[in-house]
Amino acid sequence: MPTRPARSTTRTTTRAAARPKEQPAQHRSEDDPRIMLDRQVSADLYQPIPPYPTRTEREAEFYSLGDGQMFLNIGPHHPATHGVLRLVVKLSGEQVVDVDPVLGYLHRGVEKICENSDYYHVIDQVDPLEYVSSLFQEWAAVLAFEKLMDVEVPARAEYIRVLSGELLRVASHTLFMGFLALDLGGLTPILYSFIERDEIVEMLAALTGARMLFNYFRIGGVNGDLNHDFMSRLGDWMSRAARQTEANTGLLNENEIFVRRARGVGVMNREMALRFGVTGGNLRASGIPFDVRRAHPYSVYPALDFNVPTRLEGDSLARYLIRMDEVRESIKIIDQCLHQMPDGPVMARLPRLLRPRPGRAWGAVEGPRGMLGVYAISDGSDQPFRFRIHDPSFMNLEVVSHLLPGNLLADTMAIVASLDPIMGGIDK
Amino acid sequence: MDRALKRRLEARLGAQIRGPIRQRHDQTEIRIQPGGLPDVLRTLHDSVDLRFEILADLAGVDTGREMQVVYHLWSETTPDWLRVIVEGLSREDPRCPSGTFLWAGAEWLEREAYDMFGIVFEGNRDLRRIFMPPDYTSFPLRKDFLLPDDSARSPGEGVRHMERPFAPAVVAGDPADGVRRAPAS
Repeated sequence: MPTRPARSTTRTTTRAAARPKEQPAQHRSEDDPRIMLDRQVSADLYQPIPPYPTRTEREAEFYSLGDGQMFLNIGPHHPATHGVLRLVVKLSGEQVVDVDPVLGYLHRGVEKICENSDYYHVIDQVDPLEYVSSLFQEWAAVLAFEKLMDVEVPARAEYIRVLSGELLRVASHTLFMGFLALDLGGLTPILYSFIERDEIVEMLAALTGARMLFNYFRIGGVNGDLNHDFMSRLGDWMSRAARQTEANTGLLNENEIFVRRARGVGVMNREMALRFGVTGGNLRASGIPFDVRRAHPYSVYPALDFNVPTRLEGDSLARYLIRMDEVRESIKIIDQCLHQMPDGPVMARLPRLLRPRPGRAWGAVEGPRGMLGVYAISDGSDQPFRFRIHDPSFMNLEVVSHLLPGNLLADTMAIVASLDPIMGGIDK
Repeated sequence: MDRALKRRLEARLGAQIRGPIRQRHDQTEIRIQPGGLPDVLRTLHDSVDLRFEILADLAGVDTGREMQVVYHLWSETTPDWLRVIVEGLSREDPRCPSGTFLWAGAEWLEREAYDMFGIVFEGNRDLRRIFMPPDYTSFPLRKDFLLPDDSARSPGEGVRHMERPFAPAVVAGDPADGVRRAPAS
């Protein structure tokens, strides 16, 4: 038998063993350098004011408090911020005086990664940007590359792209409806949104093999042809899509609390929307009929019959109603696609290794949130020399610092949600 | 390709444009000097036969030899996208006038170009980093910022310039004009 007690493995247990038994257990972790107790955290960590001198005119203006004003940090972890967005809000009582959005919590450097991957590889790198509607980001990249390489896409592939894209637009807008209601305190619509979205996402999973990050579009076509599983699910969904949409919108359109909290809140007028480079439904809710599908047609959209709904009010309610109108138009487009779909190949013949001629190309598509653009520069090698991603949520979020002042704090999230930002795309 | 747009641009901007106006697919491209940017943007935005009202994009580009700022604009008067390339910004001290006097939304786009390339936009009143932390010192999308990353390995070229740890990318000319990267030294 050894006379000395066996040496324990960690320092914490050694100390604990040396202490009298009545010492409370929680004091043990105090000596553990790996564990930080709440009272050891400096209070400065939670201060919204940055711990360095102000660098710009605007920052100096924002981070100086007037009489009776205070700062409030919303985020980066907040259930209603739709991701890791941090808003530093300057308040006077309950009224918002100014907002400083702080970005970058989700920055992954996708542009740099894409500039170091080859052209095929880029498509799955851009997928997680707009994770709710990732086909559109693929589409923008693929469109720019096809211009760079002068690739002719088969008609059937174009129709499949439009078909799957419009399905995803319906899913994205339906989800938007649910989250907008959720931020205004209504719990029911999100359940219906997810039912609808789940059907579409499962349908696309039958087509592409994935539920969210599809990696389906290819330079010169799409990855696979339509299959029976997809078509039967689509037929099933189409038979009641229009009716279901009406039922879902009825949940909110006739809800007096929702309408009163959304009408006249966060009004963005025509000039403001243009000056801030806002696109998508947010721009059309302010009366400007700019839809890339019509303004600068791509794919087979010129052959399809659909309207570009616009509204004049420019408030949260108008932004919501525009998206519901777009769902109806998308269902019309899906119907036409199914009727016009030609036979033929779904991929153009391309070499294994793509080396486009040196040049520049800009491709833009209309995503659910607005114009998604890609600017690609080729230097003749098999990787893009420059791959620039333009995300609509980024521009749409910029305008909040001009929409929020004057509103109540309780409306902050309602206005941000009505702009429908996706932080994955904003932070790139 | 919109030939009429080319004639209108030549008539309106004339001497401001450097080199020929290039057109390919649905894009028209002009190149200008940084000093002339405010005038050119104002003309493009206000002229009755141009009316480029929608700012589609603002991107920074590092060609390896110089910095560029690239605008993409949309107008209802033409079926083309207009690309305005502001060229000739030095890599050591890239400076460019801000476009925020016309499009307030350019503020964040310029902040991003500053964050990624270090391009200083004179007249932007909020030019601080937007994605990277405030105490970050380098500019990640510059071509001399290297990624020691296996994903950079490509079947075509063998070891890529990005993988060479201490050699910055040297580009002899504008890469998009067909000048290939200088061979590995």
